[in-house]
Amino acid sequence: MAVTITIPTALRQFAGGSASVALDAEDVGALLRGLVEQHPSLGKQIFGDDGKLRSFVNIYVGDEDIRYLQGEATPVKDGETVSIIPAIAGGDL
Amino acid sequence: MGAHKGRPDAIIMVTHLLRLSPTVAQAIAAHAEATYPDECVGLLFGSLDGELKTALSAYAVENRWAGQVSLAESDDPSSRRDRFYLDPRDYLRADREARASGLEIVGCYHSHPDAPATPSERDRVGAQAIGGTSFAFVIQSVRAGAAAELASWLLVDSGARFTEEELQLWP
Repeated sequence: MAVTITIPTALRQFAGGSASVALDAEDVGALLRGLVEQHPSLGKQIFGDDGKLRSFVNIYVGDEDIRYLQGEATPVKDGETVSIIPAIAGGDL
Repeated sequence: MGAHKGRPDAIIMVTHLLRLSPTVAQAIAAHAEATYPDECVGLLFGSLDGELKTALSAYAVENRWAGQVSLAESDDPSSRRDRFYLDPRDYLRADREARASGLEIVGCYHSHPDAPATPSERDRVGAQAIGGTSFAFVIQSVRAGAAAELASWLLVDSGARFTEEELQLWP
């Protein structure tokens, strides 16, 4: 079962320049583990020291944030696209 | 890091560069003036060729700051005058549009109303997912409602600090 995972521009330097990777996985957790296995330096970009997703890193299955689905247990289907999406914030004061 | 053979005194400097079309620069300035005194935010579509980033169009995004993330102890969830938030749903939509037209997201921009175009500590905290040299962090200063200086920065040293990169109007 191949699922496509898209890599945002800023993270491609840790993924050998790939814009997307296709992997076999049944849920988001397995997909992310497979991705990090292929590109180990992506690991600390996506996960914090506690092993959880970093706060400015979001994972979408289709149009839905996995935080509002079943987290890393969210199932993924053949042909589906999972996106790693950054949140960006800031301010002057 | 040894010096190159035969050039022991040479200082090797890597200059990072963002090329920006004049129409993109004008679009950022106009967006920043339109939202003044609030901060504006948007993304830059273009191409990435090794270390060279070229921005061909500006994609305006709504500043949806409402205290979604913690940037400082003094966060005011209602103040878009000194905070911005680029919602990942907007980024996802932009990313699909960029890819569909054969472009990449090569950076983001936001404005600093009545403040210099230099990143703040809040900017550093909020840019942790876009570090590295392949993503430009552009800041447009706006003074008394009129666009002033524009600068491009890169978040380096594993997110520890920003360094300014060269910004070139092109073509």
